[in-house]
Amino acid sequence: MVSYLIRRMALAVVTLLMITGIVYGLARSMPGTPLTIAMGESDPSRKLNPADIERMKKAYGLDKPWYSAYFVWAGNVVRGDLGRSISRKQPVATLIGERIGPTLALSGSALLLTWLVSIPLGLYASARSGAVDERVVSFGLYVLYSFPTFVAALFLQIIFAVWLRDTAWELPLFGMRGDGITDETSWFASTADMARHAVLPVICQSYVSLAWYSRFIHANMQEVVRQDYIRTAKAKGAGPWRVLVHHGFRNTLIPLVTLLGLSLPALLGGSVIIEQIFTWPGMGRLFFESIRERDYPTIMGLTFMFSVLTLAGQLVADMLYAWVDPRVSVE
Amino acid sequence: MTSDEPSNESRPPRQQAARGFWSEAWQRFRSRKLSMAALGFVLFLVLVATFAPAIAGTKPVICRYKGTIYVPCLAYFDRTFEPVIFAKDRFRGTYPANLAEKDPESWAIWPLVFQDPYRSVRDNEWPGEPANPARDQGTPSRRNLFGTDQYGVDVFAKMVHGTTVALLVGFVSMGLAGTIGITIGATAGYFGGWVDMLASRLIEVVMCIPTLVLILALVAFVDKPSIWKTMAIIGLTGWTGIARLARAEFLRLRSSEFVMAARAAGAGPLRIMLRHILPNALAPVLVPITFGIASAILIESSLSFLGFGPPPPSVSWGSLLNDARSNLQMWWLVVFPGVAIFLTVLSYNLVGEGLQEATDPRLREARK
Repeated sequence: MVSYLIRRMALAVVTLLMITGIVYGLARSMPGTPLTIAMGESDPSRKLNPADIERMKKAYGLDKPWYSAYFVWAGNVVRGDLGRSISRKQPVATLIGERIGPTLALSGSALLLTWLVSIPLGLYASARSGAVDERVVSFGLYVLYSFPTFVAALFLQIIFAVWLRDTAWELPLFGMRGDGITDETSWFASTADMARHAVLPVICQSYVSLAWYSRFIHANMQEVVRQDYIRTAKAKGAGPWRVLVHHGFRNTLIPLVTLLGLSLPALLGGSVIIEQIFTWPGMGRLFFESIRERDYPTIMGLTFMFSVLTLAGQLVADMLYAWVDPRVSVE
Repeated sequence: MTSDEPSNESRPPRQQAARGFWSEAWQRFRSRKLSMAALGFVLFLVLVATFAPAIAGTKPVICRYKGTIYVPCLAYFDRTFEPVIFAKDRFRGTYPANLAEKDPESWAIWPLVFQDPYRSVRDNEWPGEPANPARDQGTPSRRNLFGTDQYGVDVFAKMVHGTTVALLVGFVSMGLAGTIGITIGATAGYFGGWVDMLASRLIEVVMCIPTLVLILALVAFVDKPSIWKTMAIIGLTGWTGIARLARAEFLRLRSSEFVMAARAAGAGPLRIMLRHILPNALAPVLVPITFGIASAILIESSLSFLGFGPPPPSVSWGSLLNDARSNLQMWWLVVFPGVAIFLTVLSYNLVGEGLQEATDPRLREARK
């Protein structure tokens, strides 16, 4: 067990070095630097003179070729320093700390909604397998699964922010907070306001995975109900509900639990498209903005975080798999 | 010993020649109505893309001008196909009035819908028809089936001409991804050992980088964006799933008896991989490729939607949606392209699922 963990960790470190190295090289080869993009594009008169640019380049380590700058960056990360954002003049760790809350609020509620809806839906589909209503529900889920998120987001925006404007059903078009919300507003009012802003993004973020999970549960249940132990359970007189949930569903939990590990990066990484459409101040949007601004330290800090989460999620998934299923061993 | 017929009477009568794997798979695919409908929709899109200039355009499909027959509509595929004589006679892209004025003898067959995907139709350009409405006035009407955008350009024409991009993105990027994925997966699976170790690390690294992150970085990295570069980038990032499956298949098949027989017969590794293993491994690999086409279309339209798509002259469904973002009251800019993207993605997913059910014997067993 310990030797397996050590081997996985060592491989993960190699993978991590390769990923961050590739992204660092790519980021540095993008046309434009944070200095020219941030100052020059918005206002030509604010363009820095060449001497200043040279001085700032030196300060941020942009005068070195990317591979040697990469090792400086990697050395700092090992010492626990993610560097300072060039365009925002703040430590990258602080920026991530600011953005992680909103992203977690969004993706956490989306994940909760997904599980709360998909498990009953998947069980319902398995119980009614083959019936007309099951086919309709399954096809509906399939349609939902193929529906592009950004199209759904635009549809929902048109319906709730344009057509239902000035009705009780109106929902905010974008942002996380309304105009009237300040620090003095009561906790309850500000939470209610944030919840209203979160409705549309949460729906957009959860419906695809909801459809996918329901189909996944249904497919796994179909496999399980053909097993001998289900027949045994039926033969000894267990009711249909008990057979389905107690004997059947508990066995489909095994692959489901591992999915939890794999959803770790999405939970904290957020979604670029949804946060962009709804201007939700989360991680995905931070990443999108930092690419636009060529803010290398932020791009790298986020990439590092994403990759660590992805690798950790895979490791957790494998460990959970071995833990919940005694037939599987990590060796 | 001439035992032509009587010797084996105990054998069951032969009904027909044994069908091959693919014809049997096709038989099973055909029995799935939804998958067939989806395949029909994809073929319909191919037709639309091929005949786009004849469906919507402002250039004649065929015309006779000063005694010669021309096909000006081909200019929509490539600008250099525009016959030189029309530039020399100063048509400036406006055909109906110029044809009648400069050669009264001329005749022309026009596209089904007289609308241009790149510009607004002007007043009286088609005799007796007013100009396209601009800004948020262009609700769908008889003349503008899907409405017009804020500059007065016809949405139907844009969508018909954007079909080419939607189809090409899927085929080109997945063709590239399939080639890379099968090559890397096949090499890793067949040779094993340190080759496998290296390839598996590479697959893992590319898989770990979030797709959109990698694509955004690559798109920003490209100097002059074009639709072909976008396709190449989607292909370069989307091969990992295919490689993993190809690796598993080659790993499984390399120790099978027919491969051993081929090796005994003296076939080299390349020949064994291409002639003996690949045909047997193709069916499971085709399934993720089909699903990959769906996701490539999604990625391209989300890139265009985020404003990272190809620059203006090329039309894509996603860029129409991007226009809609700042004009939400123009619902037709969302509904028509949105539904088109959705139906295309749904179709490819349904075709992929049909393919999976038709070619995977385990699933067939499970259905019984």
